[in-house]
Amino acid sequence: MEESGRRRQQRRNHPSTTSSSSTTGSTHFRSQIFSSNPARTTQSSNFVPRSTATIGTAPHNTRNSGHLPRWKSETNENNQREGEKEAGEEVGSIVGTCPFMCPDGERAQRERLRDLAVFERLNGDPRKTSPALAVKKGRGGNALELSTDLNIRTISLKYVQASDVRPLSVLEDTLNYLLNLMESSEHPFEVVHDFIFDRTRSIRQDLSMQNIVSDRAICMYEKMVKFHVVSHHRLRSCGGSSISSLHYLNMEQLSKTLASLYLLYEANHGTNPIYENEAEFRSLYVLLHLDSKGQQTESLSFWFSRVPSLVMKSKEMHFARQVLRFYRMGNYRSFLCTVSAEASYLQYCIIEHYVNEVQALAVSYINNCCYKLHPYPLEHLSKLLMMKESDLESFCHACGLETSSDGDGNKSLPTKQTTFCNPREVFKATSFWDFSSRKVERLTAFFEIAGLLALKYMGLGYFKLVK
Amino acid sequence: MAYLSMGEAHRRITEYLNKFSDAVLYQDVTSLARLFSFSSNSPSLLSVADALNVFQDANRLIKQSDKFSQFGEILAQLLRSLQSYRLGNLVDAYHAFEKFANAFIQEFRNWESAWALEALYVIAYEIRVLAERADRELASNGKSPEKLKGAGSFLMKVFGVLAGKGPKRVGALYVTCQLFKIYFKLGTVHLCRSVIRSIETARIFDFEEFPRRDKVTYMYYTGRLEVFNENFPAADHKLSYAFANCNPLREENIRMILKYLIPVKLSLGILPKAWILEKYNLLEYSNVVQALKRGDLRLLRHALQEHEHQFLRSGVYLVLEKLELQVYQRLLKKIYIIQKQKDPSKAHQLKLEVIVKALKWLEIDMDLDEVECIMTILIYKNLLKGYFAHKSKVVVLSKQDPFPKLNGKPVG
Repeated sequence: MEESGRRRQQRRNHPSTTSSSSTTGSTHFRSQIFSSNPARTTQSSNFVPRSTATIGTAPHNTRNSGHLPRWKSETNENNQREGEKEAGEEVGSIVGTCPFMCPDGERAQRERLRDLAVFERLNGDPRKTSPALAVKKGRGGNALELSTDLNIRTISLKYVQASDVRPLSVLEDTLNYLLNLMESSEHPFEVVHDFIFDRTRSIRQDLSMQNIVSDRAICMYEKMVKFHVVSHHRLRSCGGSSISSLHYLNMEQLSKTLASLYLLYEANHGTNPIYENEAEFRSLYVLLHLDSKGQQTESLSFWFSRVPSLVMKSKEMHFARQVLRFYRMGNYRSFLCTVSAEASYLQYCIIEHYVNEVQALAVSYINNCCYKLHPYPLEHLSKLLMMKESDLESFCHACGLETSSDGDGNKSLPTKQTTFCNPREVFKATSFWDFSSRKVERLTAFFEIAGLLALKYMGLGYFKLVK
Repeated sequence: MAYLSMGEAHRRITEYLNKFSDAVLYQDVTSLARLFSFSSNSPSLLSVADALNVFQDANRLIKQSDKFSQFGEILAQLLRSLQSYRLGNLVDAYHAFEKFANAFIQEFRNWESAWALEALYVIAYEIRVLAERADRELASNGKSPEKLKGAGSFLMKVFGVLAGKGPKRVGALYVTCQLFKIYFKLGTVHLCRSVIRSIETARIFDFEEFPRRDKVTYMYYTGRLEVFNENFPAADHKLSYAFANCNPLREENIRMILKYLIPVKLSLGILPKAWILEKYNLLEYSNVVQALKRGDLRLLRHALQEHEHQFLRSGVYLVLEKLELQVYQRLLKKIYIIQKQKDPSKAHQLKLEVIVKALKWLEIDMDLDEVECIMTILIYKNLLKGYFAHKSKVVVLSKQDPFPKLNGKPVG
């Protein structure tokens, strides 16, 4: 059913469900297409600010079909009465019209200023780019302004032009283009990561400015979280002095993007009690906070008390809670078994760091508790810790412990050594994943543009087939 | 509603306004507080509210007399709020109440003595409750609930007003507790930190000076925060204080304190008596306590599963989960005792296969590797004294004190 721009006006007098607006009947509603055609309808929105008349919304009623309320709606109402506005408060939301990955004006300016990233250069020329290569940069360069929370609009919409903002379908294409670069081998990963990091930030800013909170936004946020998770894993194998700060910033954005994703899930729960990938993405929070000491954020106990029960019952959350339980108890055996048997790729990327930690813990326990006259055979230990025996030997040395060898070449770990220390540098237990029964090949599949929808679940569908 | 004449409405409103100004004049805090204690739903308040809906021009009344107009903004907003409240427009009622409260605070600041403190308490309470109801109204209309957050900001302001050298400062703890309730409800418990810091480090505050009721509430919430952060000795100290000082007649409050104190005590190896669980209806912990006494791992897991939702909601699930190690210790001790009866000379050697068998008997399937792992944990964390011989697959216990008690310290 076509919707007129006066829907808003009508709705004002009927704040709750109106029979005049239709519902699509399906839980995955389509968002509107930003064109001059009348917008296709969406589910009836109950989210209409009490007085809509003077809020400066865009002329089309192209509010996207999400049910996320406008956070500032009530204060707008108040402010109207008082005739003042808070500084920087958005004046309605904008509808973008920029058809390219980068607005023309910015593209021309950056060409002039030679401010083109390596991926944006036409034939390597730092002064030339093209609409197919240039991608809009993130606003607000310094680390302190990396907040792209749904609740915070750091950019005053007063000075933003619709032609500088990319509409939803352009944003989707841009995101897919960017994620495809993950596989590029021409440049070191840090460079790729840095570029995608910034450009996806800009995508989130554009989404936020347009107040897009629909299913499609959820899909995009999921992909962006995946990017940060995979980066988290891949940055571990990179060298260079700036790696640790890249790592830190990446973790920070990961947490923020994840938090925004949860808000999106929750806002849409009215129509869809649980999204397809929601359980996995919620489980990531648990895995990120396995080690709760010294956390600035709220504790896991508190977090659990507020998770929807449908999520709690999922197999991904069950896995995460098992892993948490084993980690907290120090049960290295069950921890490593469970992780290797059940972790998805995303989950593994997050837990990887803890795998090392638990392996070191196991060595420390065994060293501490075992009978002095029975050195612990490395062969058995390597099975327990899921490490290749040669790796295990170096690992023990990295822990400050000596290994010994008997006449037949059998290696073992003498116990009750007093020199144990936690291995300082990141020990790349690359062999752990080989023991995993969910072995993963190159994950080109999950960033493919073609057939992206089919491989929606991060290529996990692909794994299931392979298994 | 019975017919209400204009004259009667006029009379009621005037009477209300008089009560207000007289209460201020004679510093009668009880009468004053009654006038804005909406949640009491007292008949007299409601009758004034009805009058407002008939009379409709109370502002004129206020302006007419100096006695009232000196409190112009306060009274105008208060009446507005009351009227909206009666009509069930809780969002409007909240807005007006917040404005009333703001205006009241301005006056309050000017009063030298702390005579109106109880009235301020009522305002703090009412604003929180109104905000909660307003948020429910917003949510049911599909809007974003943000009034409680606003109430929190307002109360921070009030806190600031009270945090001075004068006699009003003893009110700060009450306001703090209202803030705690708001932050817990909103899920923004990290905001508690700054208020706690103000109370505990500012020199103007002497904790002992605060009213007892407020101290108990304060210790309850800060104790709960310690439980969330798993600082068990601190949690024990605070929750025990709350328990000891709580009015024994307030059984519901004692129950709330115990709900958190019991898991804390269990983590320190201290078991509650059965009668406490019965008296305060905390039977969800019965099986947990039994499991600890008997070393029954299956019972512990079963109890956690049975009350999972409840334990998760209150935030004690992870604490209870950790009790597993103590249950293992108890189980091993039982095996040891049995072995001692059979053959004292060999009692201190626990074969892994015997342990596996015992667990199987409890319907828990574990292989040798996992049992070995658990043994190393117990030894490392000092729940077992001894060592583990991998080749012979035996745990050799120390002859002296092989099962050390926790002695009030949580498991490492």
